[in-house]
Amino acid sequence: MRDDLKVGVFLCECGGNISDIVDLDKVREELDVEFIGQFENLCSLNGRKIIRDAIFDHDLDRVVVAACSPISHEKTFQDYVKPLNPYLMDMANIREQCSWVHSDSERATRKAITLINASIEKVKQSDAVDPIYCQTPDEVAIIGGGIAGMNAALSLAKQGTKVTLIEQSPSIGGHMAKIGKVFSPVKIAEECGMCLLNPILNELVWNENIEVLTNTKVIEAERRAGTYNLILEKSPRYIDTEKCIACGKCAEACEVEVPNDWNDNLSMRKAIYRPFGQSYPEAYVIDMDNCSKCSNCVKACSMKAIRLRGKSERIPLQVGSIIVATGHKLFDMEKRPEYGYARYDDVITQSELGRITGVNGPTKGKLLKSNGEVPKRVVMIQCVGSRDEKPDGHKYCSKICCTVALKNANIIKHKYPDTDVLICYTDVRTPGMFEKYYKHTQENEVRFLRGRPGEVVKKGDNYIVRTEDTLKGEFVEIEADMVVLSTAMEPSEGTEEIAEILNIGTTEDGFIKESHPKIKPVATDVQGIFVCGTAHEPKDITDSIMQATAAAAKVNEYNYGGVEIEPFIAEIDNDRCNLCGECIERCKYKSMSIQNDEIYIDPMSCTGCGKCLVGCKQRAITVNGNIDEKIMATIKGALSKKRDGERMILVFLDNIGYTAADNIGVNRLSYPESIHIIKVISVNRVRPRHIKYALENGADGVFIGEFPGDLMYDEVERKIQRAKNRLQELGENPERITFSKVYIPYFSGLARKFNEFDAKIAELDDET
Amino acid sequence: MSIQQKINDSPIEFAVQIINDVKNSKDEGVLKCVQCGMCTSTCPAARHSDYNPREIIERVLDGDLSIIEDDSLWDCFYCYTCHSVCPAGNSVCEVNQILKQIAVYKGIGYDKLYEYLGFADSYFTAAIGAIPEIFFTDIDRDVPGWWDFRQHLDEIRSELELDPPLMPPKDVIEEVSKILTITGFKDKIERIRSAEEESK
Repeated sequence: MRDDLKVGVFLCECGGNISDIVDLDKVREELDVEFIGQFENLCSLNGRKIIRDAIFDHDLDRVVVAACSPISHEKTFQDYVKPLNPYLMDMANIREQCSWVHSDSERATRKAITLINASIEKVKQSDAVDPIYCQTPDEVAIIGGGIAGMNAALSLAKQGTKVTLIEQSPSIGGHMAKIGKVFSPVKIAEECGMCLLNPILNELVWNENIEVLTNTKVIEAERRAGTYNLILEKSPRYIDTEKCIACGKCAEACEVEVPNDWNDNLSMRKAIYRPFGQSYPEAYVIDMDNCSKCSNCVKACSMKAIRLRGKSERIPLQVGSIIVATGHKLFDMEKRPEYGYARYDDVITQSELGRITGVNGPTKGKLLKSNGEVPKRVVMIQCVGSRDEKPDGHKYCSKICCTVALKNANIIKHKYPDTDVLICYTDVRTPGMFEKYYKHTQENEVRFLRGRPGEVVKKGDNYIVRTEDTLKGEFVEIEADMVVLSTAMEPSEGTEEIAEILNIGTTEDGFIKESHPKIKPVATDVQGIFVCGTAHEPKDITDSIMQATAAAAKVNEYNYGGVEIEPFIAEIDNDRCNLCGECIERCKYKSMSIQNDEIYIDPMSCTGCGKCLVGCKQRAITVNGNIDEKIMATIKGALSKKRDGERMILVFLDNIGYTAADNIGVNRLSYPESIHIIKVISVNRVRPRHIKYALENGADGVFIGEFPGDLMYDEVERKIQRAKNRLQELGENPERITFSKVYIPYFSGLARKFNEFDAKIAELDDET
Repeated sequence: MSIQQKINDSPIEFAVQIINDVKNSKDEGVLKCVQCGMCTSTCPAARHSDYNPREIIERVLDGDLSIIEDDSLWDCFYCYTCHSVCPAGNSVCEVNQILKQIAVYKGIGYDKLYEYLGFADSYFTAAIGAIPEIFFTDIDRDVPGWWDFRQHLDEIRSELELDPPLMPPKDVIEEVSKILTITGFKDKIERIRSAEEESK
């Protein structure tokens, strides 16, 4: 029987911090336990000896340490109670939440007794449980072979981690391979992008820890204790990459010509082709959608590398972590017909301008209009599809378009000083060092007009850009013979698909959402999956590389450290479970799934919040560690010592709220002695029956606090409202329950709320 | 000219008044304006007159109440292009209507409204809005063939096998007139009419 358990209580004086206010002699008189110890500094090594000796000498089953906050020293005392299981010890916080917030010795002593008694009752309900250690497999899948994915792969590989780099197109390289020139704000000069990319590409190709799979997509994913089982689909290339020497004879022989998508369809390529000069694998590929099966290529190939009958292949891949680097695509100009992109040949995008000015592009680097002439005036229109609340537009700023426009304007000015370049902008966003490049662009005689053009129309041989010069307040019509649109960056189709397959959260704009925008910028809401590059949000090459290497570092934290998890997580009774899937739907942490015809709970993501419990009609789920019983016992323990006329308010807080409450003590603010704080692993675990029991058995009020950033916040708020409604139905005053937001730094606000709630309850007590 | 902003000045109150107007459907749109000028670049009135929709919002955000008395306000003819192109989700067209309403409450713009009273009159005579006869010559000038088309509307309709135009029955016309009278619409237009006719 749990009542027969031998409990030892250890009182810490904390060098007077506690004993100056709390009368520990009085406390000892009031407690009814097997053993009571006391020491001036229990957390010292001498304290360990006192605790350990008492456990042996008195054969203690459970231990309560009445001292400081568990936030400060729980780990210490879990260690000091060895050989007892660490979870058979509980701390009563009589410092931060008693001696530091109360000044009346007698009442503080009463409260300390109540808190210790609550701990005694709670610890009797504790069971010996072990922390769960998870070691994930070392292998990593990186999805997307652009500049972000490539850098993440290289960083991990150089640290000794095996990486599979998965790219759906026939070559790695991504957008960077085709943008032509890049610039750095410090150099104030444009340089060859391919020359920067190629060494990275070569290094990656030669690294033995990296396997590159092109023409390959992830089509299925399943997660089990930090291990991901992926199914990849590798589409046929129709060319044996081992044999192909990329001589190009096949393409010469090919009779089919189609627009070259790598050149933004500004030139033609054959149906058998190499994506670009430095593409990897160094081999040709057949675009089977356009192939006429004439087999000219087969005849032309002296290496006998062509396999017209290729089939797609499914490849299983088991990894411990995944980095999503699936990138972006550009805004579809069909959605903004007012700029005439589809109607007019010389209305182009910045991406197309990049191809046109690229030496490996359709005009070999010459800036030419569709009629072969050099344009006299190029007008650039910024924010096309960005900062745009119209249908299909994006509310966000795409971040790179200002600097891309400046770069391309400079490239034009260097080679064609007689061509007038005018940038129509709403704001020029060149933060940090980029501002210097903006100034450099102005010095290059590039002109700027502040206004967002409404339309582009054709007039004679030229175009008319209609806009307001907002600085002059005048409507202007600008004649131009080339118009360049700075199109928004948006999530690629691959990004949208992979979010669905891996079940990772996305933002309202469809980008992969980081688990916290400030402090966890590369983690996603699924454990073990990280994000980098433009799959996450619009960013430039530098930022993509930084995030890629950060993601690599995060993966290695897993690989080298393993993960230790508190054992208070959900467990399934498979005999009862009928696989209805309700728990999977309910879980906000995405920790549940069906695997091998059983519900599987991922220990790495389950928080033990218990939301699944309520939805399970079969009652097949339990959360380890007797959480419900412990909360109930704590309430009983606290209320059992209540005296007549004493006001008793129970406050339920999770780790964040509890830390805020501790901060009230640390900062020596005060609140009434009626406030008794109970720490729970998730506020959601406080159930209506707990609240009901508390109010029926002596609690005058119940205060529930939750951090609004918690995924369960809305849920808890609704639940408390229901509890209040229920209370009203029972003829009680619903104001005896209150729900409040809590924030760690806003401890003074929490103290004020405690004071207000206490006053409110006092008023209600006076009325009755 | 320099503008001084005193510590107790609150220019934003004007924008807040616009936002709270029952006619405003764009929530906080006015406050989100970044003065990009896209409205002005597509505005037909801006191309042919001094009307500048971007400047309307600029002056509202400045708390410049003198805009109420600005003649150019009346050059907008509600094509709603600014409304549909605004990247910030604002509607200058609605703001314009709110500003005109404020003007009318202050007795401003009666001369502009006077020309349109024929529209209002037709609600009493036909329960629908009809183009006042005084505009016929202008329309026929701007839209060649319009007068001919209008003269032969019934024949064109029957040729297209369309029913004759549906005119509201007498009791409906009476009911609409009653509503317009009770709600004060009638008093309002009579006030405008008499004020204008007196001043002439």
